[in-house]
Amino acid sequence: MLLRSVFGKTIRDLRWPTFWVAISLAIGGGYFTALYPTYTQAFDLEEMMSKMPESIKALIGGMDMDLSTATGFLNVELFPLILPALLAGFAVALCSGFTAGEEARGTIDVLLSYPVPRWRMVLDKMAALVISLFVSAAVMLVGIQIGAVASNSPVDLDKIAAGLFLAVILSLAFGTMALAIAAWSGNRGAAAGIPIGLMVVMYLVQTLSANIESLRTINPLSLFHYYLGHNVLKYGLDWGDVVVLAAVAVAFLAAALVFFERRDLAA
Amino acid sequence: MANAIETENLTKYYGKSRGIVDVSLVVEPGQIFGFLGPNGAGKSTTIRLLLDLIRPTKGHARVLGMDVRHDRLAIDRRVSYIPGELSLYGDLTGRQLLAYLGHLQGKVDAAYRDELVERLELDPTKRIKGLSRGNKQKVGLVAAFMIRPELLILDEPTAGLDPFIQLVFEDLCEDARKEGRTVFISSHQLPEVEHLCDRVGIIREGRLLTVESIPVLKAKARRRLEIDFAKPVPAKKFAGLPGVEDLTIDEATLRCTVLGSVDALIKEAARYQVENVRSIDTSLEEIFLGYYGEGAALSAGKESGDAAA
Repeated sequence: MLLRSVFGKTIRDLRWPTFWVAISLAIGGGYFTALYPTYTQAFDLEEMMSKMPESIKALIGGMDMDLSTATGFLNVELFPLILPALLAGFAVALCSGFTAGEEARGTIDVLLSYPVPRWRMVLDKMAALVISLFVSAAVMLVGIQIGAVASNSPVDLDKIAAGLFLAVILSLAFGTMALAIAAWSGNRGAAAGIPIGLMVVMYLVQTLSANIESLRTINPLSLFHYYLGHNVLKYGLDWGDVVVLAAVAVAFLAAALVFFERRDLAA
Repeated sequence: MANAIETENLTKYYGKSRGIVDVSLVVEPGQIFGFLGPNGAGKSTTIRLLLDLIRPTKGHARVLGMDVRHDRLAIDRRVSYIPGELSLYGDLTGRQLLAYLGHLQGKVDAAYRDELVERLELDPTKRIKGLSRGNKQKVGLVAAFMIRPELLILDEPTAGLDPFIQLVFEDLCEDARKEGRTVFISSHQLPEVEHLCDRVGIIREGRLLTVESIPVLKAKARRRLEIDFAKPVPAKKFAGLPGVEDLTIDEATLRCTVLGSVDALIKEAARYQVENVRSIDTSLEEIFLGYYGEGAALSAGKESGDAAA
């Protein structure tokens, strides 16, 4: 039975949200993959891409787009924006409530009166979230492969898996940001709103910096720089990107633990 | 044996707003201790400081001889708590919640837990969000008592309970006391505290006014007496007596309030022909009125809408 620890209970609490996110990603991924042959038949993608203005190309995720494969197609349609928006949005929504939600509902008083240290509560919940994100990503991978097989348009599973892995790490970076804000302020709205706002800004900084010189200096501050910068679906995983995003996540997590330890908990 | 609770100049300010100020309280082990005060007095603040849910501005607190901050985990294993507005995980059934909390505790006597469920007449198969307030409270009570803690900290424990279950609750407190364990009850329910507690601490506007046993508090309290005489008696003979206040004589009936000993009053009354004497027993409400003044009364038996401050 799962109800033996905060970790177990959180896994249990997350089962339906994970199911819906995973299914949505799997169906979306499978559908888009299966759509690829129809797409290529509909019009000549390469010609379209070569005629597209640079600025538009940049906005949809980068100049180095290759629409001659299904993988490249996913790299334009799904991976740059929709996938991180959904996955990171999910992480932010959950993390913003891990502490602040329990405080608002009043359940934290009873929970912490049992021998559960505050740091343990946070880590247990985060561990459950990490599992949820990886499960969702894995299910999406399966969905994509099913779509590829069904439509006879093979995908480069290694690179897709790498892209999904990086998306999970990116989501954890934004999620732990939400966790830290919630641990500091107790304010669930701010904890969700600020990371989501930053997601939009950072996405734009990364994609527009191709065209706007002045943005290139601040681009390293955008988390999307480490997600989109090395075009993982084309060139594979850059471990430097993983390290940066993981370090950001660890830093925010550590901050969250410190803030939460010090907080006067709301009644 | 260490005191169950010991605070020294415990102070908490929320910014500029007063929580509690210089509360120095000692609760000896093996008692049922009542903690009383009106809304906003600082009861919940004090309790949350003891549980390390909030941190003091000044002063410190020890529970079972251990520091509330540094020995948090050790304390949590031996103390249980029911907050004023009990909030539990609605999607779980009572049974699931009690199993969960039992696992968090480490080890729980399942037989005793089940016995408590039965004694409190709780249906553990229902989801908590579907339970009435009283039934939710029962879940909280089982969760608190099942671990057989050395100290129970209960904020409004009988809220929503019917009188029969309140009796069961009182039995549970008595059982705990007999086993040398301590129960700390913060309550508005004055008759209940009066009935159950050995000692009472009264807090008002963040400050601890007094800690006394119930008999002593009552002795210090004002008692109302009514004496029926055969014929009207002169007021001036009674007005100056020590401890006598609010004297009225309505034809042959004398009414007054006496602080402390009634001896002088009785001896004076005995010089006339007395038909009847009525002593109206002081409730804690009246003791409160004595401490708070006429304005800020706490109605006995009435549940207040807000949680204790």
